[in-house]
Amino acid sequence: MPPASDLALLVPELWLAALGLVLLGVDLFVGEQNKRTVGWVAVGGLLLALVPTWGLAGAVHRPGTTVFFGSYAVDGFAVFFKFLAIIATTLVILASMDYFRASGDRQGSTQRFEGEFYTLLVFTGLGLVLMAASADLILVALSIEFVSLTSYVLAAYLKGNPKSNEAGLKYFLFGAAASAVMFYGFSLLYGLTGSTSLYVIAEKVATVPAPALTVSLALMLAGFGFKISMVPFHQWTPDVYEGAPTPVAAFLSVGSKAAGFAVLLRVVAVAIAPSGLDYVTLIAGLSAVSMFVGNLLALPQRNIKRMLAYSSISHAGFILIGVAAFGGAFGNTGLLIYLFAYMFFTLGAFFIAALIEARLGSDDIPDYAGLSQRAPGLAFLMALFMLSLTGIPPTAGFFAKFYIFAAAIERSPALLWLVAVGVVNSVISLYYYVNVIRTMYLLPPQDPARIQEPAVLRTALWVTGAATLLLGLYPQPLITFARAAALLLP
Amino acid sequence: MADFAWTIPFWPALGWLVLGLVGGHLPRRLVAWIGCGTVALAFAAAVAARATFPGEPQERTLFTWIAAGAFSVDAGLLLDRLSIVMVLMVSGVGLLIHIYSVGYMAEDRAYSRYFAYLNLFMASMLLLVMGRNLLVLFVGWELVGLCSYLLIGFWFDRERAANSGRKAFVVNRIGDAAFLIGVLLLWTSLGTLDLRAIGAQAATLGAPVMVTASLLLFTGATGKSAQLPLYTWLPDAMEGPTPVSALIHAATMVTAGVYMIARLFPLFTHPVTVVVVATVGALTAFFAATIALVEWDMKRVMAYSTISQLGYMFLAVGVLAPAAGIFHLTTHAFFKALLFLAAGSVMHAMHNVIDMHMLGGLARPLRYTAGAFIIGGLALAGIPPFSGFFSKDLILERAWEHAVGGGSPVPFILGLVTALVTAVYITRAARYAFFDQSYREPHPHEAPPVMLWPMALLALLSVAGGLLGAQRIGAPLLEFLAPQFAEAAPHEAAPGLFVPVLSILAGVAGVAIGWLGYRDRRDPDLGWVARLFSRHWYLLDLYDGVLVPAAKRVAVLLAGPVDLGVIDRAVNGIGALAVGGARGLRRLQTGYVRQYAAIILVGTILLMAYWATR
Amino acid sequence: MQVGLNHYLAVSALLFGLGLYGILTRRNAVAILMGIELMLNAANINLVAFNRYVAPGALAGHVFALIIITLAACEAAVGLALVLAVYRNLETIHVDEINVMKW
Repeated sequence: MPPASDLALLVPELWLAALGLVLLGVDLFVGEQNKRTVGWVAVGGLLLALVPTWGLAGAVHRPGTTVFFGSYAVDGFAVFFKFLAIIATTLVILASMDYFRASGDRQGSTQRFEGEFYTLLVFTGLGLVLMAASADLILVALSIEFVSLTSYVLAAYLKGNPKSNEAGLKYFLFGAAASAVMFYGFSLLYGLTGSTSLYVIAEKVATVPAPALTVSLALMLAGFGFKISMVPFHQWTPDVYEGAPTPVAAFLSVGSKAAGFAVLLRVVAVAIAPSGLDYVTLIAGLSAVSMFVGNLLALPQRNIKRMLAYSSISHAGFILIGVAAFGGAFGNTGLLIYLFAYMFFTLGAFFIAALIEARLGSDDIPDYAGLSQRAPGLAFLMALFMLSLTGIPPTAGFFAKFYIFAAAIERSPALLWLVAVGVVNSVISLYYYVNVIRTMYLLPPQDPARIQEPAVLRTALWVTGAATLLLGLYPQPLITFARAAALLLP
Repeated sequence: MADFAWTIPFWPALGWLVLGLVGGHLPRRLVAWIGCGTVALAFAAAVAARATFPGEPQERTLFTWIAAGAFSVDAGLLLDRLSIVMVLMVSGVGLLIHIYSVGYMAEDRAYSRYFAYLNLFMASMLLLVMGRNLLVLFVGWELVGLCSYLLIGFWFDRERAANSGRKAFVVNRIGDAAFLIGVLLLWTSLGTLDLRAIGAQAATLGAPVMVTASLLLFTGATGKSAQLPLYTWLPDAMEGPTPVSALIHAATMVTAGVYMIARLFPLFTHPVTVVVVATVGALTAFFAATIALVEWDMKRVMAYSTISQLGYMFLAVGVLAPAAGIFHLTTHAFFKALLFLAAGSVMHAMHNVIDMHMLGGLARPLRYTAGAFIIGGLALAGIPPFSGFFSKDLILERAWEHAVGGGSPVPFILGLVTALVTAVYITRAARYAFFDQSYREPHPHEAPPVMLWPMALLALLSVAGGLLGAQRIGAPLLEFLAPQFAEAAPHEAAPGLFVPVLSILAGVAGVAIGWLGYRDRRDPDLGWVARLFSRHWYLLDLYDGVLVPAAKRVAVLLAGPVDLGVIDRAVNGIGALAVGGARGLRRLQTGYVRQYAAIILVGTILLMAYWATR
Repeated sequence: MQVGLNHYLAVSALLFGLGLYGILTRRNAVAILMGIELMLNAANINLVAFNRYVAPGALAGHVFALIIITLAACEAAVGLALVLAVYRNLETIHVDEINVMKW
């Protein structure tokens, strides 16, 4: 039996699971008009979950601490992603509160299943935490499916909305197929090494015949690639982001992606890297293709959510630079920093899209015309997020990009071409991001009425905006934190 | 060194914050006071910094920006001789233009927004010239570009203004991409981004890295400073308010490229780089001057003139005379800002008419403006004793020494010819606008004092600015800068009279030709030469006639017959290519689940094939 | 000749291929779901066979297979619910007709 002390290291997970169950209970006792209460309980619970997580950050100093017979990692890397998942979930719940109310009012529907929505989000957050910490193929499979299943439901959450239905079904069919391919890859990896533990696999992988290992890795990449929306497994992204409720799209683009990268890294860097297989060139190639495809397809988009979806694909490409550079002095940190910074400005951009959608009933970029006069605060924040997505200093996006480019150059001069591709792509991306700024600031509004900013969403927005600016101006704490996290990866 | 010296960039930033947050609710008078007052404080701090400057470079770390192992970048400021000169120039000229704006923009609806952007620009520009390492410099570099974009498109109800803003931003970013790669390359080669450290260690770099890095940075400079072939955005940038043109697109931002090269001068001393920089500078100087000769929009004449004069500055750096380049940068800031403000005053009086076909005879009603314009014009034409003569003459002297010393003679020859052309086009513009009779507006009114005083001060500086570098009185500016550029080519103690005489002759001849050859707003018939100039030496035909259609053809091949109307000409070929590629790729995104699944399959097989084929 | 590991692997690969074929050719969402189940079961056969032949001492493969069976059941539940929701709104479960969103 595992020692009981293992449980002490699982407090955040246990807390989140309990929170989800409590929310289901609370939902029973809250009237239809007061479902926000459930959301507030969820936000409170999530913030409290940061406390034990913080405790872990101080407690874990040995690399490769695991519990439950080496199947679940409690290292700095996992703790880093715990923070990321919990913060992202909290912000998304804050943003959802207003989204549901406003879009419900507009469509005149009362049945919103709001309580269950928050509960599902909390459970998905738990799934993300589990994903990032799984150190065993079985747990990896289980946690990925956990996140996937809840995400399918969340994407299809607007039951009466055909677009949302379509998003859910497409996401499901695509995701289930990708998972099946990935599981087949897992089974091959298990057969080749005789173990499901990533650490044991790492010890044996060097003796495995390379062709079989490559087949297995290729099959697994299909599953991971789906989660992080890497080309060529990206096709679902725009359809799902457009159809799903906007806060869910935000959550998918940040939470699922980050956890997907965590799993990808853990499997590739821990289990596969010792085999000597040259995965760096392949990842670099996929990264370049993702950047180009995402950016080029984002150019002609008029729908802000589709534009952000393609932008999310191209950002997957940027983050993959960090995966390719992993192992260098900067690669580890660069990737974590990028994911953390990316969370804030992407969430922020989606939140504004959600707000505009809820207030104006439109996702079209031309309807953002004159936003600088209708809602100056919103326009300023959106401009900030767009600049950050482009990577203009002094925002978090610039800093993240700079760090990840530096990581690639430092890792190997052979990656210089990838950096050049990355820089060229940031120039291309400028075109469509700045188009949003131009629309907001330089085009006259069609309807001069001011747009109300609900208080709760405003909190979430200012948090993301402040983080976007602060991480650009003073990123040192994040660097320190990310370095500690990256060093603990065994 | 006094502590308040380090507050220089923060005053305008404070102004931006206040105006940006609550400016809309403040009375106009207060907005003007905040906008100008913060810049005045920055100027005062800059003067104090100069007064207490101990001679050695001073550094101040605000906080550690990035620290990762052995690599660390501070958010730090640097004040040395070069940055003090730049800070004084930027904040001083900036202050005058702020004051002028109070009158110029008095009728504008978005008064506080204008001053907020302008203050943000000042803060960014001061950060750029005070940045201690390349990363801080790059932050300023990008932010001034952003402000330029916002201010060019300030009158958003004009479609052209908005598009010009975007063009400027995108063209600049093309240069910036090269710049960023250069920065990363320097960092990997030297392990530091500190400006002084790069300067000190540049000699240790291998020739390939040194040339590559310097040319990448130079490409960034050509974008920001509108040199060939990335010059196209600056004339269009004239859609912005005129004080913005004076401040950003003549005096400060566009000189950032020259500043950056002077700052990293040791990096730019490799023979290959030297030839490239000097040649691009000389060619641009001549090329833009010829376009100014046939341009009818007064502000665009000035824009091409700015491109041309920036070419001189690059020429100076390219003949290893960075101090001469900075000297010309300073005098140019004075007289070109003056010319722009005078042009703005004309627009103010003539209700935004700026086409020289419609002007004429304004010397009488706009007495002060005409005087200012003539002073600025004489300085630009290089007539002694106006400031432009001294700085241009110095550059020509150094180019001459360079040629005599075994370097290329091209910079000197083109520089001299350009001096002649410059004098012609500015005389033409002055004659058309102020002297030839008949203008349609019956009663143009002279600008209010709040606009005239800054012009008067700039006129004074345009006259006297030459003293900063006049060799025969000890050249205070050059003396001050001398320790900065130890690597520069040694300067002969006693300059001969040969070059100054040629230079004066070119200026006087140019003025004479301009005055006698052009009258009654009718250009002399130059035949094919005029066409050559107005088509930008057929470069426009290359851009519009070859590159864009070629890119479109590629796009059509990729995407089939599509509507290319959406493509903004601003990004010409690149935009077309990218959008075309996008349309081709888009066809894969059909929305069919089964096709998506097939793509997963193909993707997985490709991944396997990748290893199978190795 | 005895039945060995390779025989199991062949069956599993065949099953995987069949499932993939189903996904690519069927237009009915439920049929696609069945294809996915086939692929999951292919993985299961692999896992159990590997457990028997490669690592007979431990039970990891069996456990993995059991977990995948459970996951398959969950997927079916969620998947069918989604199909039902789509059918209510669009009155079709043919995936080629469900493409409001594209490009």
